[in-house]
Amino acid sequence: MSTGAVAAPDDVARPRRKRLSDRARAERRLAAMLVAPAAIVMIAVTAYPVVETLILSLQRADLRFPSANKFVGLDNYSAVLKAPVWWQDVGHTLIISVIAVSFQFVLGMLLALAMHRTLVARGLLRSIALVPYGIVAVVSAYSWDYAWGLDSGWIPKLLGLKSDPLSHPFGTYTAIIITEIWKNTPFMALLLLAGLALVSDELHEAAKVDGASAWQRFWRITVPLMKPAILVALLFRTLDEVRIFDVIYIFNQGANGTESISMLNYSTLLDRLNLGLGSAVSVLLFVLVAIIAFIFLKGFGAAAAPGGERA
Amino acid sequence: MPTRQDCVRVRRTIITVAAVLVGALLAGCGSSSSKGPVTLNWYVYPEPSGSFAYAASTCSKDSGGKYNIVMNLLSTSSDQQRVSEVRRLAAGDPSIDILAMDVDWTAEYATAKWIRPWPAALAAQVTRGDLPGPVATATWDGKLYAAPLNSNTEILWYRKDLLADIHQPPPTTWNQMIDDAAELAKMGKPHYIEEQGAQYEGLTVWFNSLVDSDGGGILTKSNQIIVGPSTEVAASIMHRLATSPAADPSLNVTEESQSETAFEHGTAAFQINYPFVWAAAHKDTPAIGKEMGYALFPRVNPSIAPKVSIGGYNLGVSAFSKHPQLAFDAVRCMIQPQFQRRDAIKGGLAPVLGNIYSEPAFIKAYPFSALIKAQLENYGLRPQTPVYADVTLAIQLALSPTSSIDPTSVVSTLRHEIKEALSSEALL
Amino acid sequence: MSLRARQRSGWSAAFVLIAVCSLVPVVWIVMLSLKTPATATDGSFIPHHWTLSNYKDIFKEGIFTSALRNSIGIGLISTALAVLLASMAAYAIARLDFPGKRAILAVSLAVVMFPQISLVGPLYNLWRQIGLYDTWPGLIIPYMTFALPLSIYVLSSFFREIPWELEQAAQVDGATPFQAFRKVIAPLAMPGIVTTFIIVFMICWNDFVFAISLTSTTNAETVPAAIAQFPGASQFTQPIGDIAAAAVVVTVPVMLLVLLFQRRIVAGLTAGAVKG
Repeated sequence: MSTGAVAAPDDVARPRRKRLSDRARAERRLAAMLVAPAAIVMIAVTAYPVVETLILSLQRADLRFPSANKFVGLDNYSAVLKAPVWWQDVGHTLIISVIAVSFQFVLGMLLALAMHRTLVARGLLRSIALVPYGIVAVVSAYSWDYAWGLDSGWIPKLLGLKSDPLSHPFGTYTAIIITEIWKNTPFMALLLLAGLALVSDELHEAAKVDGASAWQRFWRITVPLMKPAILVALLFRTLDEVRIFDVIYIFNQGANGTESISMLNYSTLLDRLNLGLGSAVSVLLFVLVAIIAFIFLKGFGAAAAPGGERA
Repeated sequence: MPTRQDCVRVRRTIITVAAVLVGALLAGCGSSSSKGPVTLNWYVYPEPSGSFAYAASTCSKDSGGKYNIVMNLLSTSSDQQRVSEVRRLAAGDPSIDILAMDVDWTAEYATAKWIRPWPAALAAQVTRGDLPGPVATATWDGKLYAAPLNSNTEILWYRKDLLADIHQPPPTTWNQMIDDAAELAKMGKPHYIEEQGAQYEGLTVWFNSLVDSDGGGILTKSNQIIVGPSTEVAASIMHRLATSPAADPSLNVTEESQSETAFEHGTAAFQINYPFVWAAAHKDTPAIGKEMGYALFPRVNPSIAPKVSIGGYNLGVSAFSKHPQLAFDAVRCMIQPQFQRRDAIKGGLAPVLGNIYSEPAFIKAYPFSALIKAQLENYGLRPQTPVYADVTLAIQLALSPTSSIDPTSVVSTLRHEIKEALSSEALL
Repeated sequence: MSLRARQRSGWSAAFVLIAVCSLVPVVWIVMLSLKTPATATDGSFIPHHWTLSNYKDIFKEGIFTSALRNSIGIGLISTALAVLLASMAAYAIARLDFPGKRAILAVSLAVVMFPQISLVGPLYNLWRQIGLYDTWPGLIIPYMTFALPLSIYVLSSFFREIPWELEQAAQVDGATPFQAFRKVIAPLAMPGIVTTFIIVFMICWNDFVFAISLTSTTNAETVPAAIAQFPGASQFTQPIGDIAAAAVVVTVPVMLLVLLFQRRIVAGLTAGAVKG
């Protein structure tokens, strides 16, 4: 599922001289009143679960054995980090994320250029390209799952496959990653489209006059100017892929070596009802997401900080 | 700048949205309670022939206004049914009265005190005449925790025409069956053996049936791990099948319905599956149905009769029910012979009452009834343990995919995995 | 062929390619939903025997109709709540001068990116204790975790573009503050609010993680969760036709929104950076 929008509204404060401090104070009071409900709800619905997760992760809390609940310190964390399955699942998740996001980026860029420059049916093209974005993730997963099935699907027939692609890891990964690419490339393209719109035509014209080829103009003008948008797009999509759940759940619930971290977290929390152990997985997943976000923001330049959309 | 038209359109949109919103709210809050018979909520999997619904409505009517059974339908998948039930039970939800429980959840539910044990006198009544296998699945720690509703056991289905081609009788052992399949493969005939090799509960059933049929076991009643040589034998057979020409290329993703479909499509010569495939094949593909033969589950050890892990469902009464006595009454009513007979004939569910197996009407629908009865009398059980959900997961992880099982190391792997599962403190 | 004509045919080819890639999986699920149960697994793209029986089936079963009602109700309420709260906050962010503005936007962004599965454990644990498990509020509240920050985010960037000076101009022209708001500001703000509503509703409609974790019966199960649990013709059969039909039904509203509001959605998702 994709949640999010690209261009952080930049610092929207209207420059106002503080001539009247009374007036400024009144304005702040009004602002506080307007912002408070949203802020309180947002903090309540996220902060409570986060704190509770941290607390649960330090306890043995298995709902099947309520009498055995006790504080266990970091035992759950060491159980998770010692388990080969955790590291395997981190590996599966990263493989899917890296491949899916790479393809989404390349195809998304092409799609964005097409949506930006096309001379043919622009509105219709945008509508059609939005279809995969809007479609319910579970529906897209079922469609692709059945399409790949050896008996039920059209893909094995088209490719002339004799064996079932979904019965071994390579085929399953391919199917899952293609589903992700199909579903999310349009969103990637929209994020990039926002960046493309910031590239002025005059620059291109000037470069054209100077004899730059289309390829050179793309690399020398478009890409550098779009860098912040590219960064935001990659960050959004990567963080979304890292929490991949729906598609894997529908395909095979993580069999064939495709279990993702979210899938593991789900089964520990809600199938095994082991809230302590599951919460430790949640915290570690959160740490992983934070690390990835940090690498993106620091490693690729500060330009993509929230609000920094405009270079 | 938005035009005036824009504004009109927007206003209309908002009015529509508001109207839908109010409508939805009203719909959401519409239900109300009324005086009359006590409502008993029965959480049960969907039974397409309508036999459960018939039993529920008949019993409600016959209760003389004491109770009214309302069915709450769960998912088709047994794993998903358990998840729905345990999440509610762990929440102490008083709106559940009666639970349809897969046979291997008894220990978990009982240990967590989510279901009530049956009082001894009632227990004797509801199990009178039942086959021993189903009763064993409903018993934990010496007490009956649920009333057996139906049972299930996998037998061997084969294509008579194909066996005639290679002049062989129906195979009685796994090795013989795999050899037959290889011979058919050589002749270019349909030859797959359909088994449930996907990473899910069906894989545990397969494995456990093989282990028990070799005279071994996985866990004792007191949860000692007794994984031993039989485990290796069982894993070797699974590996042999998975790497032989008998393996359907989809083996790793095959569940019961895929087995059924493949057999009906005519690509398989053998199938290990539940009796529902009989009626389905005769209905979907009569040509295949005509050639369908049946036999006991193949042996692992030629000198030991097969012990197949039985399936089926029991009915438990929730510990959080506000009307446990009425719930016990309702369960007693719904497991009566007349309903079991109907379930069996219309719904293809094996009854737990031994007498039904000799009734002509039942034999007509279930020509293989003697085999089923024999397997329910000489039965196998999946490990009975409060952490069954973890143990079965561990087994599935250790044996999946079947083609990469290493029979030499599988015993130690399984022992380790099951030990982790029993502690319920390790990540699986 | 002139350069322009050649460009046109190039773009036409690109259009066809994009359309095929985008639509084939959708057409496939529609085709699947029109197959009879016996031919559902025949692997042919076009049904050999056409039927509408799958659609009749799903509307006959209480499971799907109640799931549809839950999806619509929960989606609309969540979205309305989120957009209402977010409008106030976004107005303050766009119009008023106060410290902590950037922080609110940054926190919103961080919250949107939160792995939802990490919230499910404690929510389930709390819900089971206070009786919100498998209820409408039990899904509406978690939906706030993404609906609210997203709404704040998208609305702020819409409101930023509004020429607020017009309000003062209207008042100077003699309008009362309320008239100025109703006649000038509300119409200017509405498109952004509607767009945000559509986008957020689509995302609520889409949710699977919370729905599969925090519901279990027709009480509150939404369509995506219900589809994944459809009953089959036997205890062991997956009802491919029913799943496909339900998938098509749940996709129709999304398609309509996308086709009707394409420009707004694109503008909303790119948050005002593209001139719609």
